[in-house]
Amino acid sequence: MQYFRENEVVVPGQLLTDDTRKRGFGTYVRDGKVYASTTGIVKTINGGVRVIPVSGRYKPERGDKVIGIVADVKPNVVEVDLGGEMVAVLKLPERESPPLNLDIGDCIYAEVKSTGLRGILLSNEGLQKIPSGILVTINSAKVPRLIGRKGSMIQLLRRESGCDFWVGRNGLIVINGPDPSSEFAAIAAINLIDREAHKPGLTERAIQLLRKIKGGSGEQA
Amino acid sequence: MSLSGEKRGYAVKIMKNKIYELLKMGKRIDERTPEQFREVRVLTDVVAKADGSALVSVGKTKILTGIKVEVGTPFPDRPDEGVFTVNAELLPLASKTFEPGPPDERAIELSRVVDRCLREGQALDLQKLVLVEGQKVYMLYIDCYVLDYDGNYFDAAVLSAVAALMNCSVPVYKVVDGRVEQVPGEKFKLELRNIPVSVTMGLIKDKVVVDPLPAEEEVADTIVTVGYSSETVVAAIQKSAPGLLPVPMLREMVKLGLEQSIKLRSKLLEAVGDGQKQA
Amino acid sequence: MNRPKLIDENGLRADGRRPDELRKIRMEVGVLEKTDGSAYIEVGGTKIYAGVIGPREVHPKHLELPDRGVINCRYHMASFSVDERKPLGMTRREIELSKVIREALETVVFLEEFPRMMVDIFVEVIQADGGTRTAGITAASLALADAGIPMADLIAATAVGKVEGQLVLDINELEDKYGEADMPVAMAPNLNSIVLLQLNGRMTVEEMFKGLEMAQEAIKKIHGLQTEALRNKYKVEPEGSEV
Repeated sequence: MQYFRENEVVVPGQLLTDDTRKRGFGTYVRDGKVYASTTGIVKTINGGVRVIPVSGRYKPERGDKVIGIVADVKPNVVEVDLGGEMVAVLKLPERESPPLNLDIGDCIYAEVKSTGLRGILLSNEGLQKIPSGILVTINSAKVPRLIGRKGSMIQLLRRESGCDFWVGRNGLIVINGPDPSSEFAAIAAINLIDREAHKPGLTERAIQLLRKIKGGSGEQA
Repeated sequence: MSLSGEKRGYAVKIMKNKIYELLKMGKRIDERTPEQFREVRVLTDVVAKADGSALVSVGKTKILTGIKVEVGTPFPDRPDEGVFTVNAELLPLASKTFEPGPPDERAIELSRVVDRCLREGQALDLQKLVLVEGQKVYMLYIDCYVLDYDGNYFDAAVLSAVAALMNCSVPVYKVVDGRVEQVPGEKFKLELRNIPVSVTMGLIKDKVVVDPLPAEEEVADTIVTVGYSSETVVAAIQKSAPGLLPVPMLREMVKLGLEQSIKLRSKLLEAVGDGQKQA
Repeated sequence: MNRPKLIDENGLRADGRRPDELRKIRMEVGVLEKTDGSAYIEVGGTKIYAGVIGPREVHPKHLELPDRGVINCRYHMASFSVDERKPLGMTRREIELSKVIREALETVVFLEEFPRMMVDIFVEVIQADGGTRTAGITAASLALADAGIPMADLIAATAVGKVEGQLVLDINELEDKYGEADMPVAMAPNLNSIVLLQLNGRMTVEEMFKGLEMAQEAIKKIHGLQTEALRNKYKVEPEGSEV
C-alpha cells in the first residue's frame, strides 16, 4: 500500500509504503516498512520508490562533469576544490608532473570517476584546464534547470549572450565571452535562473533580460 | 557555496582579470555599480530582553547587535564618564571560515573597529551616563553577532551597533544617600550625539568597489574601512587586509566613502525613525 | 522576595495558559545563506537560530572515522538573550546542553552515509524565555532536514514542569525559575522513542509518566508544524520541464 501522493514533498521519517521491495534512493526500511530518510520529492520510478533530495548541497556521482579549483599539488595527487568544502583528487603516477601542468589556483573541468569511502576521485581522461573566464557559483540543485531539457536552456544562453559556458554539476560555472558586456549579460541571466528556477516563464524572462542588457548601452537591468 | 580558497589564501586565478575588466565597464559580478551598497535592511527592537537591539543585513551579510545596560564603576582616569564596551563574535554558522572558540584576530579587529567608530565618532555623550561621579556610572555592553557572512562585516556591524543604540532604553536609577537604586518601570531613551557610519571599500588595481563581495575581497589588492561620524569628520580608518595602498587611491576612497556614507546615514535614520522598516 | 503566583484560582497560569497549553510557535526553514541548512524558531518569548554545515571534511583530521560521519553541536546563547548579561565564552551549562542535544540528534542521523566527514550543528539562542534546549533541538532538526542530511526521523521537543504541585506543559522562564521541577523531553515521533530526557527537580514516578504523556501529545503537534515548515519551503519546482 502506498502512503504518499506522487511528487509530494516528504520529510525524514515519513511512512511511504509497506512493500520493502520498493525501497529506493532516499529511503530506509524499518520493521517491514519503507520510510523517507531525507527531505525531498517522492517519486515512483521503475516500480521503486525514490526520494529526490531538494537540498542545495551537491552530492557527487560517477559520471558527473564538475568544475574545480586546484588547491594543492602533491607528489601523488592533485587536490581539487569543488566548492562547499568538498575536495576531490586527481591521482598521478609517482614522480610525474601533474597533467596539463596544473598549478595551484588553476580551474579545471573533469569527470567524477568514483565516490565513496575513499573520497571523490576525478578522471584524468578528458581533463581540461579552463584558461580564463569568470567563475560564478549557483545552488547545485539549479544546475539541471540551467542546462534545460536536452541542453536547450544553456544553448539559448549561449546564443543570446554570445558567451561560452562551462557548467559544473557541482554548481560552479565559468563564463567566457568576446567582451565584458556579453559576460555581464550572461552573469545576469545565470543569477536570474539561480533565483527563479522554480517560477514559470523563466525562459522568456531570461531571453528578455539578455536582449535588454546586450541591446541597451549596458545599463543595469 | 564557498571555495576553500577563502581559508587557504589562494585567489582564483582566472577571476582577477575578469573582475577588473568588468569594473572598467563600471560593472560588478552581482550587477551593482562600483559605488553601490547592496540592499540594506534594519530592524530594531528584535530582542526584548536586550535594552536595545538591531538586526541589520547588507546584502546577505546579517548581524544582530544587542545592548545590555548595567551599573558599575567608571575608569579611574575618567570619573565623569559612563562606560561602553564592544564585543563582536563571528559565529561559526555565519561562514565556513569561522571556527568556534574564543574570538580570533578577525573578531577582535571587528570589535575594535566598531568601538572606534562609536567612541571617536562620539556617538554618545558619556558624561550624561553618570550617576555618582567617580563611583557609579552606566555601563553599556554592546555585543555584535555575525549571523551570516557574505563579505564586509564591518559596515553591517557599525550600522547594527548604532541602530541598537538608537533603540536603547536605559533603566532609570536614582541616587539615595549615596546609594544607587533602580526606579522600577522608568526608562529613558539614549540620545545620540552623532550617527557614525562606516564604508568599506576594496581596491582592485586602480578601481575602488564599495561594500565588497567575498569574490571581490579575495581578488582585491587591499581593503579599507573608513568610519565617518558626520559629513566632515573621519572617526576611524582601518586597512584590514595586506597589500599596497597608494596614497592617491586612499584619497579617492575616502572621498567616495564620504559620498556613500551620507546616503547610508540617511537610510539608517529613515529605517530606525519608523521603528521597523526596510532601509 | 516576592514570589509570583504561578497558577490562579481558575487553574490558569501566569501568562493565561491552561496547564496543557503550548505557547505560540513560529518556525521558518532556510533563513540563513551560508549554512547548508537552517531554521528559525520562536516558542513564546524564546527565539533561536539553528544552522547546519556539512557534510564536509573533518578538522582536525585525526578525529575522522573511517566508516562513519561525526556530528558536532554547539549550543550558545547571545549575551543579551537573558536578563542578566551572560559572559562571553561557553559556560558549563552551554557545554552540557551542547552534549545532550548532539546525542539526541546523533541518534537519528544515518552516520554511515557520510564516512570521513563531519556535520556541524549550531544552535544560537538570541532570546531566552524557558525551553531553549527543546526549542533549539526542534530547530536543529529542521536545519538538518533542510541540509538534506539523511535521518530516520525529525526530532521535536518540549519541556514539562511542575508548578505549585501541578504538571504544566512548555514552561516559560518564570515557571522554570520558581517551579518545583523541569523535565525537557525530545522524541523521534515516528519511532515513538525518546532521544533526550532530563529532570531537574522532584517528581513522583506517576507524575513523571503523566508528564511524559503530556509531552508526547505536544510533540506530535510540534512535529506537525515542522513538517508544514519544510513543505512550505520546498513547494515543487518542475525540473527542466519548461524549455
